[in-house]
Amino acid sequence: MTTTTRPTAPTTTIPGTSALARAFSGSLFTNTLFNNRRIFTVWAVATGLLAMMYASFYPQISADAMTNVPEAMQGFGFNDTATAAGYLQGAVFGLLVPLLATFYGAATGARMISADEESGYLDLLLAYPLGRTRLLLHRYAALATGATAIAATVLGAVLAVRSTANLDTITVSGFTAQALHLTLLGLWFGALATAIGAATGQGRATVFGITAGIGVATYALHGFAPQIGAEWLRYLTPFHYYIGGEPLRNGFLPTDAAVLAATTIILLAAGAWRLGRRDLGR
Amino acid sequence: MTTPIELNELTKTYGSRRGLAGLTLTVEPGEVFGYLGPNGAGKSTTIRLLLDLIRPTAGTARVLGMDPRTDAVELHRRVGYLAGDFVVDGRQTAGECLHFLGKLRDGVPTARIIELADRLELDLSARIKSLSKGNRQKVGLVQAFMHQPDLLILDEPTAGLDPLVQQTFLDLVTEAKTAGQTVFMSSHIMSEVEAIADRVAIIREGRLVALDTVADLRARSFLRVRLTFSQPVPAEQFAALPGVTDLTIDGTTVTCSIDGSPDALIKAAARHTITGLHADTQDLEELFHTYYTGEQATVRAA
Repeated sequence: MTTTTRPTAPTTTIPGTSALARAFSGSLFTNTLFNNRRIFTVWAVATGLLAMMYASFYPQISADAMTNVPEAMQGFGFNDTATAAGYLQGAVFGLLVPLLATFYGAATGARMISADEESGYLDLLLAYPLGRTRLLLHRYAALATGATAIAATVLGAVLAVRSTANLDTITVSGFTAQALHLTLLGLWFGALATAIGAATGQGRATVFGITAGIGVATYALHGFAPQIGAEWLRYLTPFHYYIGGEPLRNGFLPTDAAVLAATTIILLAAGAWRLGRRDLGR
Repeated sequence: MTTPIELNELTKTYGSRRGLAGLTLTVEPGEVFGYLGPNGAGKSTTIRLLLDLIRPTAGTARVLGMDPRTDAVELHRRVGYLAGDFVVDGRQTAGECLHFLGKLRDGVPTARIIELADRLELDLSARIKSLSKGNRQKVGLVQAFMHQPDLLILDEPTAGLDPLVQQTFLDLVTEAKTAGQTVFMSSHIMSEVEAIADRVAIIREGRLVALDTVADLRARSFLRVRLTFSQPVPAEQFAALPGVTDLTIDGTTVTCSIDGSPDALIKAAARHTITGLHADTQDLEELFHTYYTGEQATVRAA
């Protein structure tokens, strides 16, 4: 009887793992990105498409310019549709895109800690050699990647229609600056939701609700503040540092960006601090 | 060799609710330690304290000689943990999940993961969310055993597993013991740990009510006897016999428990024609239920 020498297949890969999954298995950050690749893509593509669609309406809107905007709504930036920057700061970068970035931050931030604490997955991850602060940072890094992808897609989308939609009066660097501020806005609300989840241990729905509520409330405050004669109130909202300095016209605003970045870091630090000291809930 | 688990007056209260009340116990190196109690007794609370998922209200825990809180990361390298309800991100396949978890442990040999999955008959290419509870539990078992940790902490490890896989699990635990690993496993079913545990602790309402070897616990149990006779027997001949308790006489059938020697019962029965004799040690399960419900004292006195 002959002994067939079966070539000992080097068992280097585990069955059921795609090359992509293995490439993204190196850390909790990359694994989180891998598991969220579809939802992050949907967020970026949907936001980008909406931005592109509304940006390309500009020629029609500017044709029948002087659209009547109620005086009470002027704080929202809808009063100036005569210039490209004015229009974009109203409908596109003043309403649609920032609110989507806000909801992305609230929804994703609520999933990064709260959802997994609720399900019990956090129990497993934290029984691994992985500190709580590191877990929070890896999770937040994945959220940040998604926020950056949204802003980059929006930037690509508006640049794609820039000349066909008569938006040439805005420089490429103006659009880039606005996209950077948009990234920071998404990061801010992402940090808020992540921090609320990390600090309180509340469930996903609660964390999303609170963060989205704060988002809508501060958006409204930013819009109505001038009408109620309290312009200073705008400075208390993240939206002021996102669009108040008109990055489309004035380019990147280091001070405003620094305010958003610094408060983001403070939120995350506070969340990580509380997370490190509390009991994990079930 | 360091003591795997050392608890000293470990206490955890949740608001006014008490999770654990001054628990003191030691798990010796290389032993399989069964941790039993009814649901809600504080088993998971203890385990989550050992892993620094929650922090004690009072008392101390040392795990592998380390402080669960300050040495958490170093400690977790040497511990394998299976939660009571094992949950991971359902969007990945079992293989992807285990590959990632292996990487999180700085690399676990792929062959080891495949070997464990094969033995448990786990389909690595199935998406986690499509798996049944039992199959998901297999993923949990693989990740707990894959890096051959010094200490395995298993919370209700056999929940949802079919009998065949349960046997594989028992083999895995036996191998771990042979390799010098320590196993701390909780359960609310005695028979589950009876076969492999060296020692068993029973907790109820956050307190230790018994801690002994399985053999000694067994020695404490009674003999259950059922005798059948050719014709009805008078009750008074059996009622006052030494060591006989729980006596019931139903026509020609006598059933009772014997604590100690069966001599008196056999001699009393020998006066009649015996058609059947059945004797069995009290099910350990029953013994545990008496501990669970706190009726041990009344049973003894009956």
